[in-house]
Amino acid sequence: MTKQLDLLDIQGNILRAYGRFGYPVARYVFLNVRNAAKGREFVGEITKKVTTSVEWGDGPGKIKQPDRTVNIAFTYQGLKDLGVPISSLVGFSPEFASGMKERKDILGDDGPSSPEHWDPIWRGNRETREKDVHIFISLNALAGQGLDWLTVAEKNRDDAYAWLLDEINKTEGGVVLLDGHLGDDDANLNYQDARVVLDNNGVPTPKEHFGYTDGISDPVFEGVPYDERRVKGRGKQMPGGTWAPLATGEFLLGHVDEAKEYPPAPEPILLSRNGTYMIYRKLHENVATFDRYLEEQGSKFPGGKALLAAKFVGRWPDTGVPLVKAPDAASNAKFGAQLLSLNAALNAAQKKGDKESVKSNEQAIDDILSDFTYDDDMSGAKCPFSSHIRRINPRASLEMMNEEGDKPGSFKVSKDAFDTPGALANRRRLLRRGLPYGEVKDRTRDDGNHGIVIMMVNADINRQFEFVQQQWVNYGNDFKAGNDKEIILGNHSMDDNFPSKAVIEADPDSDQPPYILSKIPRLVVTRGGDYFFIPSMTALRMIAQGVIDPT
Amino acid sequence: MSSNISGNAYALTILSPIKDGFTQDEIAYADIVRARLQGWNAEHNSPMALVPQTYLCRYFVLDDVYLESLPGGSAIDTLVDWLPFVPDTLRRWAWPKEDHLKSRYLVFSCNFHGGPKADLDGYLRGMWNAIGDRIKEIWGYCYGFDQVDNADKFIDYMKKCQLTATLFFVGSNDDPLEEQLKALYLKQEFAKFAIDNQGLDAATVKTNFQAFIDRVRPSELDGPTWKAGAYRVDELVELKKNKG
Repeated sequence: MTKQLDLLDIQGNILRAYGRFGYPVARYVFLNVRNAAKGREFVGEITKKVTTSVEWGDGPGKIKQPDRTVNIAFTYQGLKDLGVPISSLVGFSPEFASGMKERKDILGDDGPSSPEHWDPIWRGNRETREKDVHIFISLNALAGQGLDWLTVAEKNRDDAYAWLLDEINKTEGGVVLLDGHLGDDDANLNYQDARVVLDNNGVPTPKEHFGYTDGISDPVFEGVPYDERRVKGRGKQMPGGTWAPLATGEFLLGHVDEAKEYPPAPEPILLSRNGTYMIYRKLHENVATFDRYLEEQGSKFPGGKALLAAKFVGRWPDTGVPLVKAPDAASNAKFGAQLLSLNAALNAAQKKGDKESVKSNEQAIDDILSDFTYDDDMSGAKCPFSSHIRRINPRASLEMMNEEGDKPGSFKVSKDAFDTPGALANRRRLLRRGLPYGEVKDRTRDDGNHGIVIMMVNADINRQFEFVQQQWVNYGNDFKAGNDKEIILGNHSMDDNFPSKAVIEADPDSDQPPYILSKIPRLVVTRGGDYFFIPSMTALRMIAQGVIDPT
Repeated sequence: MSSNISGNAYALTILSPIKDGFTQDEIAYADIVRARLQGWNAEHNSPMALVPQTYLCRYFVLDDVYLESLPGGSAIDTLVDWLPFVPDTLRRWAWPKEDHLKSRYLVFSCNFHGGPKADLDGYLRGMWNAIGDRIKEIWGYCYGFDQVDNADKFIDYMKKCQLTATLFFVGSNDDPLEEQLKALYLKQEFAKFAIDNQGLDAATVKTNFQAFIDRVRPSELDGPTWKAGAYRVDELVELKKNKG
C-alpha cells in the first residue's frame, strides 16, 4: 500500500516550492517574543491562516489555490520563550539549539562570509534577548494570469503583510517585528523580500543572478501526491537505473527514514511528528567577480566560455540541460530546440485546459532536465566532480573506484561494495525552497542588493545540511578531488599563498589534459541566517495553547 | 619477517613505566611527563621533526586500561547463567577478572624508515644524537632511565621497553623520508606548473618545462624540497619564498 501523508497536518512550504506553483514573490518576516502569553495568542491567530499541504484544485479533499501562503517556524530560543517546556526542548538537536552563527566553522562561514559581516538582524541575533530571532513567517504571493501578473502578486503580498502587521499590533508589544534586513542602497528594512529574476522585457525567469536555472532537482519522497510523476532523477537511484521516492523520514520527523529508523526528535510525538527543520540562509552573489572570472578562464578553457559556464554548475545556463546528457554545445542546442517546442505545446495545452497533454508535456520536459545518472560519466569528463549539481546531489557517483591497470584519472562504478546505488547519497538530501532577492543594477559591481534566499528542509540538520556544506561544498575528498571546493558555493580561499583551485576533468581515453581552474575567487557570500523548526499544524495549535507536555 | 616491519618501514611501539611518585608541588611524575609533552605543541615544531627518517609518531601517557563492559562468555559463567539456582556470590565469582596496569606508562608509537635491514639501532642512535636532551626531559621520570647517559644505553633501554605491535600509521609508503618529501614537493610544484602552463603552445611549454626541471631538480634529494615536520602555514609560506 502506498504511503499517504496527512496533508492537512503538514505546513505547505515543506512539500511545495511555492515558486514552482505560481508564487513568484515572497516576503520573509522575523519576530521577537517579549511576552510568552501574548506570543502564544499571536501564534494561535497566525495558525488559523497557515497554508497546509492539502491538494489544490477541484474535487473531494482539495481546496482552491490561495492568493497568498502563510507559513511559520521557530528558532530554539523562540520555542523556549513561548513556553515550550525544557523537557521537550532537550529533545531538539544540539545544532538547532546552537544556531547557525555558532556553527560557522562547520559551515565554512569565514572571511567575508563570517557573522560580523552579516545583515544587522543576523548580527544581533543570539546576542541579546531583545534582538533574538524567535519566529519566522513567510508570505508568498500568487501572480496574476495576465500582463499585470507582477502587480497582482505584489498586491497579494502587501495585503498579506498588512494583515500580519495588524496581528503583530494586536499583541501590544508582546511580539515585536525585527528590523535589520539590508535592502537596496543598504536600506534597513523590517522584512526580507524575494522575487524571481526578470529578463530584460520584465518576463519572469527560473534563473538566479549568475544566470543559471535554479532548483530543478528537488528531492521527491514518499507520500506526496503531487510529486509522484517527478521521481526520475529526484528520488533515490535504484539498481538498473530506476528511481524510487526517498523515505519520508529524511524530510519529516515522526516518519521512518532511509535507515529504517525514526529520526531523533523531541517529545511528545505530537510536537515533532509532521514537523521538520529548516535552514534559512541569505546568500549574496558577487556577479562582477563571477563574470570576470568566467571571462578570464573562458578565454583559456579549450571548450570556450559557454561550456565552462556549464561546467561550473553541471547544467547549461541557457537551457538547464544537464551536461551528462548534453556534453557539447551541439547536443545542448538539440535539447534546447526540443524544450522550446515542448514548452510551446505545454502552454497551448494549458490554455486549452487539456490536462492529459499538460501532463505528457511536463513529463517530457522533466525527463530531459532531471532523468539522468552519472553511471556513464564516472570519470567526470562530462560533468566535473566539483560542479554544483554533482556536489549537492551526487546520485550514485560517489561509489567510484580505480583499480590497478586502469588509466590514471579513470573511475568506474564499484559494483559490489554497496547495497544500493544511492547508499552514499540518500541520507544527505535536502529540499530546497526559496527565491532570488534584489536586482542586479550594475553587473560590473559585486556590491548591491542581490542574491538568493535559500531555505533548505531536512530531518537532521547535522547529518544532511551541515554534512553537505562541510564535506561536499567546502571539501572534495569524497569526490576524490582533494581539497577542491564546489566551484560556485565553495568558501574559496582569498589567500595568495594557498589559492582555491578545481579540476575540470577530461576524458581519460582522450589525449586532452584536464583543465585546472586556478585562483577561484569567492563567488557567493553568506549574509546571515539561522536554523528553524517548522511544526505541524497540530503542534502549532498546542504551542499556541501552551499545552505541550512530554510527561 | 617480524610483524612490525613492512618492507622498509618499521613500526616502533615503546611502553616505558613512569615512576609512581610526585614532586614537592604534589604533581604526579606521570602528569609532569604529560604536561611536558603537551608543551611540545606550543613549540614551533615538534622536536621529533629533527629526528632523521621519522615518518609519523605519537606520544601519550597511558593512565590505565579502560573497560567498557565486563567481557563474558567463558565456559563457567555461561554455565552459571543457565543454572538459576547458582547463588549470586558464585555468579559474581565466575565473572572475568578486571585488569589494571601496575603503573602509568609513557607510550611512544613511531613509524620510520628502517631500510632493508630494519635498522632500529641506527634510528634510535639518530634520535639520541638529534634530541638527546629532549629525550631526557620526557623519559627522565621513567623507571631505570637514570642509568641512560649515552646512545648505546638509550638503545638498550628502548629495546627493553619495546612491544612488537603492528601499529602502522596511514599516509606514507616505505621510501626513505627524503624521497617522500621530495616526491610531495615535486607533485605540488608540478600541479602549479600545470596550472601556469595550460593552454600554451608546445614549444613554450617545452622551454618552461626545462626551466621547471632546472629549478626543482628532481634527482637531487637535498635540492629544493619540503622540510621534515613542516606543517604550520607560516612555515610553508617561508618555504615558498625561499625556493624563489
